[in-house]
Amino acid sequence: MSKTCTLDGEKISCLIDFITSQNVPVETVTILLLFPIIATIVVLLRQVIGMQAFGIYTPSIITIAFIAIARDNIASLRYAIATYVVVIVVGMLMRFALKKLRLLYLPRVAITITVVTLSVLGLLTLGGMMSKIGFANTELFALLIIITLVEKFVSVQIEKGSRAAIILALETLIIALIGFALLSSSTEIGQSVISFILRNPYSILLLIPFHIFLGKWTGLRAAEYIRFRDVLKKIQ
Amino acid sequence: MLDFFKAGSKVLGMNARNLTYIRPNNLKSTRILADDKIISKKMLKSNGVPVPHLIAKISSLSTLENFDWSTLPNSFVLKPNNGLGGAGILIVFGRKKGLENVWVKSSGKPVTVEDIKSHIRNILDGAFSLSGSPDVAFFEERLKLASQLKPYSYKGIPDIRIIIYNSVPIMAMLRLPTKESDGKANLQQGGIGVGIDLATGTTTTAVQGKSTLIEYIPGSRLLLRGIKIPHWDEMLHLAVKSQIASGLGFLGADVAIDRDRGPVFLEINARPGLSIQVANMAGLKRRLERVEGLKIKSVEHGVRVGKNLFGGEIEQELEETSGKKVIGSVEKVRLIGKNDLEEEVKAKIDTGAYTTSIDIELAKKIGYEHLVDEWQKIDFSKYEISRNNADNVAEKIFSEVRDNIPDLVDVSAVFASSGSSFRPLIKIPFVIDNKRIVAKVNIVDREGMQYPMIVGKRNLYKFLVDVSK
Repeated sequence: MSKTCTLDGEKISCLIDFITSQNVPVETVTILLLFPIIATIVVLLRQVIGMQAFGIYTPSIITIAFIAIARDNIASLRYAIATYVVVIVVGMLMRFALKKLRLLYLPRVAITITVVTLSVLGLLTLGGMMSKIGFANTELFALLIIITLVEKFVSVQIEKGSRAAIILALETLIIALIGFALLSSSTEIGQSVISFILRNPYSILLLIPFHIFLGKWTGLRAAEYIRFRDVLKKIQ
Repeated sequence: MLDFFKAGSKVLGMNARNLTYIRPNNLKSTRILADDKIISKKMLKSNGVPVPHLIAKISSLSTLENFDWSTLPNSFVLKPNNGLGGAGILIVFGRKKGLENVWVKSSGKPVTVEDIKSHIRNILDGAFSLSGSPDVAFFEERLKLASQLKPYSYKGIPDIRIIIYNSVPIMAMLRLPTKESDGKANLQQGGIGVGIDLATGTTTTAVQGKSTLIEYIPGSRLLLRGIKIPHWDEMLHLAVKSQIASGLGFLGADVAIDRDRGPVFLEINARPGLSIQVANMAGLKRRLERVEGLKIKSVEHGVRVGKNLFGGEIEQELEETSGKKVIGSVEKVRLIGKNDLEEEVKAKIDTGAYTTSIDIELAKKIGYEHLVDEWQKIDFSKYEISRNNADNVAEKIFSEVRDNIPDLVDVSAVFASSGSSFRPLIKIPFVIDNKRIVAKVNIVDREGMQYPMIVGKRNLYKFLVDVSK
């Protein structure tokens, strides 16, 4: 590569330069390239550290939603968290409210989604009334992503009980916040990761051999060292 | 600290369980079979493994409407086929007297046909199954709690989880329902898991919930260690049989003990949990590796291998809690004599004897030649002894000869049918099973005896004696 490419005065890969010159917005390119890294962070936190979450997709997509909502201003992160908490709390309450009715699964989730959506709408209005303009203007699709989390939440509630669902929801939130801290354009680390990726987009491919290694790794997770500490102390 | 992390290679974690044991050993088609309670019940039954009797199965609303309620026995259990974690189970204890088709629950509340029908409709609608998919309901026999385990369980029936791999029982745990777990034997919900010694079927360590070690049933003085599981051998044999029949290479069998029928298999599990390691204070991974690839020829062979490889924790456990070593009735003893002379002999461990004795020849070998020679020169005929004055005489002898025999620490009088005698005592250290004891030992002629040494109870305070060893 003899020629150098730049974007807003910053050096970037000429591949990125080519893509953006085809009218693909640079935000889109950035988010898409970050997605494999987010997935990697989730895999590391789950497989090696031993945190629990709703699968790999949910924490990844929630991270993206957080990144999108607080793209320009880290203060907007609290709106994202507030929405998340409302979704979980309402989803929880709806379970008890609907329990007596004994509905089939899909209609029940639809009712829950309705109530959750209205609650989020109320939350936004409330935010606007308290002249939190940033909240009222929160990115639509990011909000929808957080709302759809409720389906996952409800199905885990049914399968493993409310306690387990709440623990999973909390750990999913923590994972999303860690992902956010490492990758958001409004944090310092995030900025350097993004500019590194824009300069070296091919480095994403290195994640594949890394995941092949993780996929074969059978060691104990960090959380399991804690869970089995008494056993380990005894047999060491 | 480093050892702590090294020990991690002996404990089975999620990653290794899924990749190394479940994936290659439990094919998806056989996993589905294990998840379906009715199919796995039939499969186990036809292979000679006892299961709760299936009374009736209801798979549609029309069968429900045409069901003949008078065919139900006095007590039964109603279950969803794909239910999870014990949800949707209705237990009926008996018929209400004087009323037709009315039963009572454990709480004493009446249950009518209408109540049962509505419960079954919910099951069919999938109210208790994963993600609400339609399900099948079935009635089965209600098991009766075996009297041996009655004091230990709250409300529900305790069960025994046995992990089997390659036709070998690997580890087992008794699960007790508690008040906290509301009668469910599930550890996550606060049930108690008690480790079981595979060789003897006796319980060892116990854990409540995920990782709290306990010794007694909470709020009681019922010790959780040392419970003897009834029908243990039979249970192990059946567990191995169930694994072979299921086609699962790695399996957790859940077994209840019925008062009349003995071991009855409740469920087989293709993804057994890992808490059994905490209950047993032992790692699964090391055990699984030890039986990997072994050629197991029969059910009996598998049970024997499991017992031999993984039994014996009881002894270790006893040693650790009492701080005492378990030794047999004959042990190797290393005597440490004068001038660095050491001698190892087989000694009789005799809790019937009070003191420890060694043979004259042995005493000579460890540097007490002078003492033996001098002792034999003493003329004992000048001492008159009887039972009453023996101690005084022994004391007298000691004071008279001690200056001449510096190694002598005491003299004892011994009465026997053949006549009375005196023995010299020396103070020496000796080692049994890595424990060092310093003791006063008397020297006697043990020629013709099988062992040149007897260790008496006075010097056995650091040990427990297992006469079968």
